[in-house]
Amino acid sequence: MLTAEIKNLTKTFGSLAAIDNLSLGIEKGKITGLIGADGSGKTTLIRLITGLLLPDSGSVLTLGLDPFTRRDELSLKIGYMPQKFGLYEDLTVIENLRLYADLKGVPYDFDKVLAMTNLEPFQDRLAGALSGGMKQKLGLGCSLLGTPEFLVLDEPSVGVDPISRRDLMKMVRELITPDTSVLWSTAYLDEAESFDMAVILDKGKVIYNGRPDELAADKKEFESRVIELMGGYKREESLIAKNYQPIEVIEECTVLAEKLEKKYGNFYAVKNNSFCINRGEIFGLLGPNGAGKSTSFKMMCGLAKPTGGTAKIMGIDILENPGKARSNLGYMAQKFSLYGSLTLRQNLEFFASAYGIKFVDRKKRVDEIIDIFGFKGIEDQKSEDLPLGFKQRLSLACALIHNPPILFLDEPTSGVDIIARKEFWNHITALAKRGVTILVTTHFMDEAEYCDRISLFYKGEAIAVGTPDELKKKADTDNMEDAFINLIMGAGVDTK
Amino acid sequence: MIRDSLRRIFALIKKEFITIWKDPKSRGIIIALPLLQLLVFANAITMEVKNIDTVVIDRDNSQESRELLSRFEHSPRFRKFYYAKDEKDFKSKIDTQKVQIGLYINTDFSSKIKAQSPTEVLIVVDGRQTNSASIAGGYASQIINGYNNEISAHKGASINAVVRNWYNPNLEYRWYILTVIVAMLALVITLLLTALSVAREREMGTFDQLVVSPLSSFEILAGKTVPPLIIAMILTCIMTLIVVIFFKVPFAGSVILFLVSIFISLLSIVGVGLFISSICKTQQQAILGVITFQMPAILLSGFISPIEDMPVFLQYLTLLNPIRFFMVLTRGIFLKGMGLEDVITNWIPLILIAAVTLSLAGWTFKRKLD
Amino acid sequence: MKILKALIKKEFLQIIRDPSSIIIAFILPLISILIYMYGINLDTVKVTVGIKNDDPSVEVQTLVKSFGHSKYVRSKVYDNESSLSEDIVRSKLKGGVIIPNDFSSKLSRKQTGDLLIITDGSEVNTANYVQNYASQIANKWLFTSKHAPYASKTIVNPQMRVWYNQDLDSHYFILPGSIAITMTLIGILLTALVVAREWERGTMESLLTTRVRKIDIVLSKYIPYFTLGMLSMMFNVFMCTVVFQIPFRGNLLVLFGVSGLFLFTSLGIGLLISSVLKNQFLASQVSLGIAFLPALLLSGLMFPINSMPLFFQHLTRILPPRYYITFIESEFMAGTIWEIVLLNSVFLTVLGLILFGLVYKKTDMRLTK
Repeated sequence: MLTAEIKNLTKTFGSLAAIDNLSLGIEKGKITGLIGADGSGKTTLIRLITGLLLPDSGSVLTLGLDPFTRRDELSLKIGYMPQKFGLYEDLTVIENLRLYADLKGVPYDFDKVLAMTNLEPFQDRLAGALSGGMKQKLGLGCSLLGTPEFLVLDEPSVGVDPISRRDLMKMVRELITPDTSVLWSTAYLDEAESFDMAVILDKGKVIYNGRPDELAADKKEFESRVIELMGGYKREESLIAKNYQPIEVIEECTVLAEKLEKKYGNFYAVKNNSFCINRGEIFGLLGPNGAGKSTSFKMMCGLAKPTGGTAKIMGIDILENPGKARSNLGYMAQKFSLYGSLTLRQNLEFFASAYGIKFVDRKKRVDEIIDIFGFKGIEDQKSEDLPLGFKQRLSLACALIHNPPILFLDEPTSGVDIIARKEFWNHITALAKRGVTILVTTHFMDEAEYCDRISLFYKGEAIAVGTPDELKKKADTDNMEDAFINLIMGAGVDTK
Repeated sequence: MIRDSLRRIFALIKKEFITIWKDPKSRGIIIALPLLQLLVFANAITMEVKNIDTVVIDRDNSQESRELLSRFEHSPRFRKFYYAKDEKDFKSKIDTQKVQIGLYINTDFSSKIKAQSPTEVLIVVDGRQTNSASIAGGYASQIINGYNNEISAHKGASINAVVRNWYNPNLEYRWYILTVIVAMLALVITLLLTALSVAREREMGTFDQLVVSPLSSFEILAGKTVPPLIIAMILTCIMTLIVVIFFKVPFAGSVILFLVSIFISLLSIVGVGLFISSICKTQQQAILGVITFQMPAILLSGFISPIEDMPVFLQYLTLLNPIRFFMVLTRGIFLKGMGLEDVITNWIPLILIAAVTLSLAGWTFKRKLD
Repeated sequence: MKILKALIKKEFLQIIRDPSSIIIAFILPLISILIYMYGINLDTVKVTVGIKNDDPSVEVQTLVKSFGHSKYVRSKVYDNESSLSEDIVRSKLKGGVIIPNDFSSKLSRKQTGDLLIITDGSEVNTANYVQNYASQIANKWLFTSKHAPYASKTIVNPQMRVWYNQDLDSHYFILPGSIAITMTLIGILLTALVVAREWERGTMESLLTTRVRKIDIVLSKYIPYFTLGMLSMMFNVFMCTVVFQIPFRGNLLVLFGVSGLFLFTSLGIGLLISSVLKNQFLASQVSLGIAFLPALLLSGLMFPINSMPLFFQHLTRILPPRYYITFIESEFMAGTIWEIVLLNSVFLTVLGLILFGLVYKKTDMRLTK
């Protein structure tokens, strides 16, 4: 019995085939993970299955219905959560739930959902004021209303901390019936490995469809098999790092935070945060959504004004002399804020000149970067049309264009596929070896392992600082994910 | 140092140009909106009242009354004539706006003329459109006065007004309105180019990138000011050329003074636009800000109703209105050939507005950290 | 029905949360009414005129004085002509009156005395006022001066009556007319971003996978903003009639009925912009570009439509405020005249339905990308 039956499906955007003659069956009563690189067609496939897009050719039967002609009937049986969660940020939690309950024609019975999402105390809070993890849970809660026969989730765990991610998984497993089918697209391979079925997409085609345990025996092997299927990843010497000429630095303590504090009314977003990052060190800021990581990050680069304490870059106070302090800084913003209407080359040229690279050197530098970063052939594409992985790399290139000795990365790998992530970290670790100091935030615990030191944030305070091994030891476990969960949960109990 | 700064500013300017110009929809809006509106407004708007439809009751029905009415019929301003059978019909024609004016000639009209004793012709105008009504009523009075002069047997002392209309001998309304429209459309387009620029980058997160870069507030400000200024300047020049070439409005003044004046005026509007944009977090707030500025600015610019007639409080308020001075300058230089001294008097408030708004905008760029 | 109710409720909650909707609906009309009330005055325009008297006779002094006493003229006496003309060039004067030295001697000889009137033609409106006021003042003077017995006798006197607005107070029609301009602005601004916003924030994608029908989406955008717009409309009427004492001779039910039709059209314009462009930036640009000026200049409030070239007269037929202004001015000043009410209602209904149809057609139920 198949929940969704797809035959010879094709969908093109312009000249690009997003889905290329794809056939697939999604089994009833199973959780199917949808894996693939950026631009492999995951979101397009999901939108075709739910009837949000019209195919060019081929057929789809979802729950025995053609989603293009009988969407009305289908909508009663399907629960869908799009990538941007589809919440109304100016409505409260309970208002969002009521809206979706009405739209699905189910009674206002939210006890179970509220309990599962731990949103009970926040019912009257605006959805926009929730942390990323809570938004995801609420979005999932809304799509679960009315116990749908088929639950379709488009990367629900992007940008979510490990605890919330675990909660999401628990919610799905507990709130569905044995007959419910789930299609879950994800960038986390450990997540995919725990599902009943795994479907791997590449360039709009299915390259694997089967049980995860048939592919590999454990998580680690699963990851390497998937990478292999997706074209493989070979660790090479990072050209970026090799050709990188950071400004000479004498200071040992290149990034310094002294008793940083940010207070909103009576609420401390960040409290008494001090650290010193040494030259060439990778320093990770970890913590659940809303713990104060981003605020700390913003204060460090002068985007937010601390209510107490100081932040120094190379010994220069970021508030007293922002221009000078920032010239030492490469900054990669969350969501890779680039100028979408500019081409890749124009973005590079812009940031090169913004950072004061002389006209004569600029062309050389930009050409060099295009070469080293592997942008050849796509340099004249509009950056908003690039696949996410390229956007990320372009964003890194823009941050590095003026050879800064310090690099700030705010969730640099959010939403990016596994291979691109591995490549990215290969560059980062190599850059650190060349003496670049790196401050990074991430929700991927495998990435935390690359850090030399980690500061674990919870409720505005650093609850633990140390090497990954020290933290694991402290939490009495052998993997970072459990260490994270244990330490946070421990602190949570303490403060209560 | 200065060269570094100029290089950065230039990079920003280039980036802004690409973002404004690359999207064909946005480009279309920026070019088509003002030019299309210029053509429509220029052709459509007039203060001359024409095509007046009239309802008539001629109780006298004499040679004299027909003579008077034929003068109306021959006037190019009057169009249709309805001869009403009774007062009720007369009233309903005016009530339902079939006509704009009514003429009532009494039974004794011809006999009084023959006796050279005073009589009256009643002109009824529709007060629901007071200004065009009184203009139409004025035309009707003129025709009656003209007739009066002919039939009056007794010539005596009278006053003849010899009128000279300087700069615009025939009082062509189009000459006046076109200089006003160019200024208004320049205002609309400049606000539209500037008001969203910062708010949009704030919404998309790219503004943080700019703040973190070594670009100073002044450099960001310069980068945000120049491209809309250049585009608005070019559009204003194109509109001016259209006005001179196609609508044949004579250009009396100095071209250089005119160019400098639109430059300064547009700079002050860019300042206002960027100021609005810099204090808004979202694009929605920005358009609300623009409308709350644009509507009063146009209504209180002196074009609809002279500034000297406003209450003193509002007169002071218009000193903050760049469009007020902009219109004086376009009209003055265009039609009157205004001299340097008077032009400079109008530049000063514009420069002050530009200086204040631009510094405030620049100041919020880096200060507005939360 | 239940879905529609839920969507409408959602929209209302969003309106309440978002202060900008409330500002658009109530603060904007307040500002606009104050401006039209105090800043705009089309009847008692006072012009500054320079007077140079070359006639030495004592009698003419009284003419100079009557210029000084007129409530329409601010007069300033000049001794030489060149400084008078200089002040016209510099816009200090709107015009000048020059009395030639043979003026009164000609009048006493029962001849025609020439009065030279100079105007600043660059401002056509005031130039007209200067002409009219100056010759009116002079003629009036003639009949009170000692020349009166020799003056030409007027046989046919034009008697002007202004119906519906005896006091010739321009605010009586400007204020009701301004409601039309403000409501156009409000209708467009309220809705221009609401659909674009849902597409940009991804909430539309969520809605589309539920049971909502196209008609639900369209109606759920119309109904809440219609309600808000009507409240704003009532506020406008309240300000006009109660606060500023503009006489209202019509029927409130008729007024609100036709206002509803008008609001229906202007919401349609905003929604059409929003659903076609699906992008807040472009939708903002278009609404900023078209919301205000066409309504102000082409609707007949400021400039007579009848005088436009025929093609442009027809062009104004696509502008809803044109019909509404005709209606509202008449309703305020003349009371309910059914022919005007019905004719304009028919046009508004047709326009509103066409816009509704377009909005419906342009509301996508699928993604394109």
